[in-house]
Amino acid sequence: MPEAPRSGVIHDLGYRRYDGPRDGTATIARTLFVTGLRHAYGLGRSGRSKVMPFLLLGMSLLPAAVVVGFVVLTGLRSLPVSYAAYTNQTQLLVSLFAASQAPVLFSRDLRHRSIVLYLARPLPATVFALVRWASLAVAMWLFTALPTVLLYLGAMLAGLDKSDQTTDALKALVLQAGLAALIAGVTGLISSVSLRRGFAVVGSVMALIVLSGVVTAVQNIASAEGEDPASVGVGLVSPWSLHNGLANAWGAGLDTPAPVDGAWVPAYVLVALLLIGGCLLGLVARFRKVGTR
Amino acid sequence: MAATASVTTVTGEHTGPPVIATAGLTKHYGTVHALTDLTVDVGAGVTGLVGANGAGKSTLIKILLGLLEPTAGHATVLGHDIDHGGQEIRRVVGYMPEHDCLPPDVSASDFVVHMARMSGLGASAARERSADVLRHVGLDEERYRPMGGYSTGMKQRAKLAQALAHDPQLVFLDEPTNGLDPAARTDMLRLVQRIGSDFGIAVLVTSHLLGELEQVSDHVIVLDGGHLLRSSATGDFLQRTGSLLVEVVGTETERDLLGEALARRGLTCRPRGAMVAIDPPPPELAAEGVAHDLIRDVAAELGLGLMRLQPDRRHLEDVFLEGGARA
Repeated sequence: MPEAPRSGVIHDLGYRRYDGPRDGTATIARTLFVTGLRHAYGLGRSGRSKVMPFLLLGMSLLPAAVVVGFVVLTGLRSLPVSYAAYTNQTQLLVSLFAASQAPVLFSRDLRHRSIVLYLARPLPATVFALVRWASLAVAMWLFTALPTVLLYLGAMLAGLDKSDQTTDALKALVLQAGLAALIAGVTGLISSVSLRRGFAVVGSVMALIVLSGVVTAVQNIASAEGEDPASVGVGLVSPWSLHNGLANAWGAGLDTPAPVDGAWVPAYVLVALLLIGGCLLGLVARFRKVGTR
Repeated sequence: MAATASVTTVTGEHTGPPVIATAGLTKHYGTVHALTDLTVDVGAGVTGLVGANGAGKSTLIKILLGLLEPTAGHATVLGHDIDHGGQEIRRVVGYMPEHDCLPPDVSASDFVVHMARMSGLGASAARERSADVLRHVGLDEERYRPMGGYSTGMKQRAKLAQALAHDPQLVFLDEPTNGLDPAARTDMLRLVQRIGSDFGIAVLVTSHLLGELEQVSDHVIVLDGGHLLRSSATGDFLQRTGSLLVEVVGTETERDLLGEALARRGLTCRPRGAMVAIDPPPPELAAEGVAHDLIRDVAAELGLGLMRLQPDRRHLEDVFLEGGARA
């Protein structure tokens, strides 16, 4: 038998240096952002981690799909629920999504101490904290925006007034962006402090769902008692009542127990901005501190 | 401690600028003095940083990475000042921390790729490099499994791989042999040596075990309670003491037989393990090779098989103990 030519020779190339291009800080930050955004939906992680986010997303899209089908088939002349009100009605799902996914972005690196490996790399702790927050905020925003887009497409399909619908949908999307920034800040901060996933989830549920329930109850009682200013004032306390109050003030089709108007509007905006800013400062301080340990 | 703190030595034979240079580096946490007035230069190759737990090794590395601000003093790493160039330093330096830092639900392969990207490598370069370094550190098929199921040895390898993923010019290895069994420890030390020699990456490796660093380092820096005890080439630490060690075939009987015979010929002997330790020979036997010849002849006369005849070198431990006693 003729000798076959040698084909499979393994060469040990030894250690090879890398002299190719290296990304700048901005590109690294963008990579971290995209990875974080994917991880918030379980993408690039284990199969099990995809269940919760997509289950919640499916549940929050389902009513919108039903509404769309209803409007298209029956030829209703308006959506039975406004875009902003829809977000509020799926409040529980949105809050659960935030509570379950914030620990993925804010607890894991701290709990397993892999944060040290990140901070030993070019991105400063401040940028790391802000990028993580941005990943969660955008993930949150997509979560609330997708049903809005679905409803809007349905409205267009049903031939509803284009300019009215577009204005309302855009208002809702802007309000959702603010809501996402708020919720991502609050749940992110809670998750970065309580490293046990269970504690982080419970803490976030308390801050979003329980607090929101209490605030709504107090608001309703106050307005029933004729104390409208008190009812509006209490709304400053929780992210959801801030969102709803601003949606009401902006005419995005959402009713609050008492109308938010006059000087309350800038107060709501200011408190929302302060809350976001405070959470970001807290996150930055937290991650700067872990870097030194 | 001014006397020990003022010791300044450049380690490494390379004439280029030092890889690390510190001047009066001090870090105090309240009343705890983690580092005091450290002035030391580190050159290329493998430099061992020795000290007991709490001697300031990890603090020094954190400061050099720009993660911790020194209370006083300054330092440069690869020509970048730690005050302003932290980001530039972290771009070209790798760091393997002492403690566990691996997420358990990610595979080593995915993790090292991600870490390479966080160091600024593009997606395809990161994949290629991480496959390369995982091969070099010796993680084979297990690289595709979640790291939660790894043994300590595999975890240490994965930690080392992430430190090398972006082809740094310098790596800080904090206690890389921690928790390893003897065989894995030897493997790890060999790898550390290769990184310094074959890979051409400067290494600052810490350990509280002096014997380990003796084997792999070109230079050794000894820290004690935040103070610099000594910094010099490993060879200088292991200078000859003039003493000799002799071992013959057989048991303690043969050992004692040789020792007594040598003592009768004017050498001061004492047993050390299976060997005979001979103090520096007296003047009449001090000439080059005279003592060696005498030992050979005595062994031959007694009909003993000579197994080993070597100079008794000092160990790093001795240096450390001396320094510790001084401090």
